[in-house]
Amino acid sequence: MTSRHEEHLICFDHATIYYRDRIALDDISLEIKSGEFLGIIGPNGSGKTTFLKTILGLIAPVRGSVHVFHCACDRLRCEHRARIGYLPQQDLFDPKFPITVAETVMMGRYSTIGLFRYPGRSDRVIVEEALSAVGLLDHATTPLGELSGGQQQRVMIARALAQRPEVLLLDEPTTGIDAATQHTIMELISRLHRDLRLTILFVTHDINLISPVVDRLILLNTKLFAAGPPSDVLTQATLAQVYGKETVVTNHGTPYVIVSDHHA
Amino acid sequence: MGDVLTFGFMQRALTASFIMGTLCSVIGVFVVLRGLSFIGAGTSHAAFAGVTFGYLTGLSPLGMAVAFGLGTVWVIHGLYQRGIMQLDVSIGIFYTFTIALAILFLGLMGAYNAEVYGFLFGSVLSVTAGDLTIMAWLAGIVLAAVLLFYKEFHFITFDQGMAEATGIPARRLFFLLLNLIALTIVVSLKTVGALLVFAMIVIPAASAYQLSRSMLGMMGYAIAFGVSSSVGGVLISYRFDLPSSATIVLLATALFFLAAVFSPKRRRVARFATTPGGRP
Repeated sequence: MTSRHEEHLICFDHATIYYRDRIALDDISLEIKSGEFLGIIGPNGSGKTTFLKTILGLIAPVRGSVHVFHCACDRLRCEHRARIGYLPQQDLFDPKFPITVAETVMMGRYSTIGLFRYPGRSDRVIVEEALSAVGLLDHATTPLGELSGGQQQRVMIARALAQRPEVLLLDEPTTGIDAATQHTIMELISRLHRDLRLTILFVTHDINLISPVVDRLILLNTKLFAAGPPSDVLTQATLAQVYGKETVVTNHGTPYVIVSDHHA
Repeated sequence: MGDVLTFGFMQRALTASFIMGTLCSVIGVFVVLRGLSFIGAGTSHAAFAGVTFGYLTGLSPLGMAVAFGLGTVWVIHGLYQRGIMQLDVSIGIFYTFTIALAILFLGLMGAYNAEVYGFLFGSVLSVTAGDLTIMAWLAGIVLAAVLLFYKEFHFITFDQGMAEATGIPARRLFFLLLNLIALTIVVSLKTVGALLVFAMIVIPAASAYQLSRSMLGMMGYAIAFGVSSSVGGVLISYRFDLPSSATIVLLATALFFLAAVFSPKRRRVARFATTPGGRP
């Protein structure tokens, strides 16, 4: 093991990753330090979700390597995965599914509790803390399907928090949510990053929403096009390589980007 | 009616229907929530093919039902895991393949065998002490597995991908769940028969789904619906001399419609549907 792996929480080393028989990520080299807040941007189908799934150890690189917690990601054991909170792209689930908010958040504890055992008092305390953190403690016994889309997304964040993770992977957590709620969720995530020193990887197509809060932006389009502070990445020249010539970057303090990529 | 409970056959019938009602409802909760209805139907036909094979060869019919039920689940799951076929297509193939086998074995037997048809249509009043022992053992195994993996089964029925991402061995547990469905069907085969066993897995859980707000609540309602319709069905069928399996399933169906009519969810969704900006 090289010293490089020890300094970094997540380390991609010339990693090439396939998703459904085609190259989703090509020759990616990137190091992520503990406590960083990263925004991962790129057009549709650029490999953003694959990037997160690789870190979770759900997909293994065919060439190169990916190390997470100093452990090759394809050998990630259950206890490693439990240290990574993951919020998948919002699926439509049956709004009548009989599950309460607290039951949903408790699922975040299951991998830590382990097989053959039931949640105890300390797990219930952690669930309450997670619900408080997202401001939904009053809704603990409410059926999940009765909440609004934004509230449900906060429940899912609480479930990830209940894992007591070191890393939080968020896949488009603000998609399909109204602008006011988007900002509430952004504030919540920024606060978690600040207060809990969580390493956060935030996948989004909404560049302007995250660029003011992240430490670094990662620009993907199968290959890694740029990785650096938002002011370095959000330039006309860099973005045009990925989004085409119609990209507009205006600059009044922080850059504001208009791209032609419409998210499905 | 009270004196009927002193008859041995009636005591066995009520015990069998109680075991069947409990087990089917517990497993049914996961089947309904995970959308596995079709696999239950497919496995019940495979189990019946096993019964006919047992009678044809002189092997234990229930033992063969276990072998055929589990074997079908393994092959269906294997095809699905290797990406050869969608789950519902491979179930569709085995659903009919195993019925063809059953018809073949029945034909090879030649003589009419009433006991075989008991497994097809259900014959709870002819449950023997030996049948009960096998039923109790299998039910014990299934319920113990559910108790051991209760929280994981709930997680994979809610969101299998998420369960896997957090480090739960979701695929292996899903396979275990399919095996438990097959065993549940074998346990219930003689009580309600291969044609109707599937109803007892789906209907009580579906009724519970109408009324419950939590996963724990759904489990409780499902057991209440399952046991009351199976035990009640046996008593009613005896009193009015009706076929017991049909009575059990008709009673369960009637309870389902009552639950659907009185479902608070239905009212809630209807209310949201008429409220501008409401989210169902």
